[in-house]
Amino acid sequence: MKTHEYVKLIDLSRCTACRGCQVACKQWNEMPASKTRQHGTYQNPQDLEWNTWTLIRFQEHVDKEGTLRWLFRKDGCMHCTDAACVKSCPTGALHYTELGTVSLNQDACIGCKACVAACPFDIPRYNEANEKVYKCDLCYTRLMAGEKPACVLSCPTGALTIGEKDAMIKKAYDRVKELGGDANVYGDKFVKSTHVIYVLTEKPEVYDELPTNPSVPFSVILWKNLFKPFTLIGLGAVAGMAGLHYLIKGPHKIHEEKEGGQ
Amino acid sequence: MSSHEAVVRITDAEERIVHWVLAASCLFCLFTGLGLQFQAWDFIPIILGGYYATKLMHIYSGIVFAGMLLYALYIWKKDCTFEEADLQWVLKAGGYLWPVKDLPPVYKYNAGQKAFFWILIVCGAIIVVSGFVMWLWNPLSVPAIIARLSYMAHAGAVVLLVAFIVVHIYLGTIGNPGTASAMFSGEVTRSWCKTHCPRWLEDREKKEA
Repeated sequence: MKTHEYVKLIDLSRCTACRGCQVACKQWNEMPASKTRQHGTYQNPQDLEWNTWTLIRFQEHVDKEGTLRWLFRKDGCMHCTDAACVKSCPTGALHYTELGTVSLNQDACIGCKACVAACPFDIPRYNEANEKVYKCDLCYTRLMAGEKPACVLSCPTGALTIGEKDAMIKKAYDRVKELGGDANVYGDKFVKSTHVIYVLTEKPEVYDELPTNPSVPFSVILWKNLFKPFTLIGLGAVAGMAGLHYLIKGPHKIHEEKEGGQ
Repeated sequence: MSSHEAVVRITDAEERIVHWVLAASCLFCLFTGLGLQFQAWDFIPIILGGYYATKLMHIYSGIVFAGMLLYALYIWKKDCTFEEADLQWVLKAGGYLWPVKDLPPVYKYNAGQKAFFWILIVCGAIIVVSGFVMWLWNPLSVPAIIARLSYMAHAGAVVLLVAFIVVHIYLGTIGNPGTASAMFSGEVTRSWCKTHCPRWLEDREKKEA
């Protein structure tokens, strides 16, 4: 039973890429920093890591008029309602919470990496050292204590806010109307709605590493909805047919050996 | 005279060992795999010491299965190569489903046994290759699509293989009385051979004479 269904809204039109959320996330979740290198960008580290659950992506974008613009996007778990990671997890380590978010019980994770392959947003990260997967849990313990997630608390511009689902989706659409142009709401129209929703200032296809039409991969559906049940259905059906064959036709008889061979 | 002996040795010790190690590793993989697939069957990881232990046992048993699969291919591929008469045998369903006259005489293995062998080899190869990908893929260097297809193919090939294994067990035991001893003592009766592998028996007795 969902007592509250929370949605975190990421309004990219307000993001200044201060990366306060990135630091706050590490601090609250007690994740160590990685040694990184200068790659000619402020984006640091280069990608999400097992110890980096949220990351500001810095993208240099040339728009239709030829103007160079800087796009910032806070990347991280989208907390899908129809989550490919939960569907593919064999142990139940990945699970839906009563808040609608997706949490990961690290103790139950066996490091099979099925979720890493399945996620349409490429979010879960595998730590080879302890064979566990890591990802954002939208600060489940903070939410349960009535606190905002660490990233939301740290945000100085109001780009990150959290609240009840319906109110936040309405807020997102109001903001898009205010912004006009290519601004759009991203997240409510696929995987039965995510619990992290963006206000994008550009069309989704403009952003790096952002799928335009994410869904639970077909291979995961085929695997879990068809092959998985048919392992047992097939086994049972064939065993049943063998039984019927035995009862109707009877066991295969051996020709009586005639005297004197052939 | 050998042509009048009551029993015929049809498999050697090597064949029986390969058969049973392959079978045991395959069934143990199936058992642990079902435990990893169906959360409702968590009695499997519980008796095996948890999900992580079950994953490790699945992998190690899978390595044995992979090795034995190659061994099986090596020792049986010649016996299981299809020949022209096999088509006739298949068209008559080997006499298992409706009354049939003039079934083409079988050499060592009939077309059904050969088909099972190649389904085992093909499904087994898909399972082994995809299994190694699932176990060892590094998300930083392997495209997610390869991993996705591996998880899917692993489960898909199992569906087919499991169904055929049931048929294999049925036909090797109660469906064909007198057959199972071929994989225990290695001996079957001479009349069994005359029914199931007449050309092979003829050849063998000619050689021995």
